[in-house]
Amino acid sequence: MNVEAMSLQDFRGKLEQLSEGIPGQDMSDEERVRRAKRAFMQKLNGHRAVDLDSCLQCGMCAEACHFYEATQNERYAPVYKYRPLRRFYRREMSPMRWFYRPFTRDITAADLKEWQHLVYDACTGCGRCDMICPMGIKISAAIRVVRHGLAAAGYVPPEMRVLRNEQRDQNTLFGVGAEQLKALVEKLGAQGISVPLDREQADVMLLTTAVEVLLFPDAFAATARILNKSGADWTIRSDVFEAANVGIITGDDPTMSLAIRRIVDKAKACGVKTVLMPESGHAYQTLRWEGATEMGGALPFETLSIPEFISGEVQAGRLNLKAQSNGASVTYHDPCRLSRKGGVMQQPRDVLAALGLDVRETPSNQRENYCCGGGCGEYVLSGAADLRQKAFEIKRREFEETGADAVVTGCANCRINLLIGAENSGWETPVTSLVETVAANLAD
Amino acid sequence: MTLLDFASGPGMQWALWIFVFGVLWRLVGALFLLSRKDLTKPRQYNSVAAGLGAIISRSAPAHAFEKRILFQHVTGYVWHFALFISVLFFAPHILFFESVLGFGWPHLPNTIILITAIIATAVLITLLIRRATHPVQRFISNADDYISIFVVLIPLITGILAFAHVGGRYETLLAIHLLSVEVMLIWFPFGKLMHAIMTMPARYQAGTAFGRRGVKA
Repeated sequence: MNVEAMSLQDFRGKLEQLSEGIPGQDMSDEERVRRAKRAFMQKLNGHRAVDLDSCLQCGMCAEACHFYEATQNERYAPVYKYRPLRRFYRREMSPMRWFYRPFTRDITAADLKEWQHLVYDACTGCGRCDMICPMGIKISAAIRVVRHGLAAAGYVPPEMRVLRNEQRDQNTLFGVGAEQLKALVEKLGAQGISVPLDREQADVMLLTTAVEVLLFPDAFAATARILNKSGADWTIRSDVFEAANVGIITGDDPTMSLAIRRIVDKAKACGVKTVLMPESGHAYQTLRWEGATEMGGALPFETLSIPEFISGEVQAGRLNLKAQSNGASVTYHDPCRLSRKGGVMQQPRDVLAALGLDVRETPSNQRENYCCGGGCGEYVLSGAADLRQKAFEIKRREFEETGADAVVTGCANCRINLLIGAENSGWETPVTSLVETVAANLAD
Repeated sequence: MTLLDFASGPGMQWALWIFVFGVLWRLVGALFLLSRKDLTKPRQYNSVAAGLGAIISRSAPAHAFEKRILFQHVTGYVWHFALFISVLFFAPHILFFESVLGFGWPHLPNTIILITAIIATAVLITLLIRRATHPVQRFISNADDYISIFVVLIPLITGILAFAHVGGRYETLLAIHLLSVEVMLIWFPFGKLMHAIMTMPARYQAGTAFGRRGVKA
């Protein structure tokens, strides 16, 4: 299969134009601070309080952060990225607030503006810092609360704001809606790949992403072929197919809830037993690990990531793979939201091993894996390109240490960032997806 | 009432009350902030085992991080062990604990206590210097970070001086040592010394949060 896709070059051009002519969000400074504080108050729960009260300020978290490691800029220490939240907690919510208040500076609109760079450009929310903290503090969760505050205060970076508004208001991303999906399905049909579009009832509802439709249609085709081969009773809906959730990326709760609700409502209407997430780490994390809580109750279906699904089908004997014997080696890049934030680490390795590939591990892998450098939508931020490239170089060194022939990953966001990084630095090792690797080796 | 009478009497009593009440106030206040229940379906896991597992696993860095934080890891262990031995196994300290708790335990020879106290002091001074000079630590530090070091450092130094009878009359040195301990106890619930209490709940909640997703914390 080979479906015509937008070139990486064109997609990069599209990214650069994203925020052109987008005005800032007009708001008084007082209003920004008020809204940020309200968001902090809503999100600051007992878990975060215990975390904030436990911090030793040892600074070890900096040693886990790819942005700190790449730049040695102390402002990128993860502990510093949630400083506004800590200040707010100490002044307004801590049991010791009566003591801290006179000694703790209040947050200002200028702080919020400054932290926009620190929590959007210089943090992908990958959570590697969560794994190093000797106190077990979920640092990335605290930083996410800061993102919530900034989103409420109108400080979402313009590129992300455009995408959030598009998803919220038009239910599309990058202009990809039902029409574009249908066009892709038709093209695949012409190549003999059947996609059961818009069925009213099915056991499995597949989601995809605008990025996959535009840039990686081969991955979508591969997923369809795998589903067909496994004999799954499946569908993809042209009215609700977007798995990505810009709400969670930006810290905008209403958009996050809306995007989850669209999927949940459609899955319920179609009576599906499984919602299958495409290769998108944050999309999986959102529905699988936040969906039920966000919707206020258990969901009537299970949410599976692609590696979990494939691994399960292989084990159940419904999907047979051809094991290669050419000694080809690969290294698997763990998307952070599938691995340490999602618990999907062994399955992709099992699948690659079942393909007869020599799976080589990077020095930091699975729960300690380095982020691709532009995870969770960070790759759309044009102002952070240099920073991302520096972080990518860490990743590149890790890959090179394995000596593997190719890099395989299970997240389109990671794949884009790795491809852009590779293109920038003239690195030629192929970066591909798990689904395409599997679909190229389906046995009868 | 002499200075020593005050330090070993009402001073210590008040310091202990502030310590106990302050710790409980801060701990309960943080723990009882409401958290939304996680309604997602967990992977198969045992929350107690995951929580307790994290208490143990976070005592050492994961392999990928070892080299980058080796200095802090090693000094952290040396510091805490040396401190605990000096505080808990010095004969006069045990007499004090016995007077408060009603029971005591065997003590270590004074020479060992002197050595551990000197090691603890040296390591803490090293960590203080690191905090003031390491780019990240210096940048993120605030008054609490330095106060918390000094309020522990001073009892160590005054303890060693009192033990060695150096720098003044023994009674005066002892009174100053006791007063410095009282300052430390009073500061404890307000600053980051509180980590000694928070370690367990913080690690436990990390263990359960990761555990329900099938990830080892």
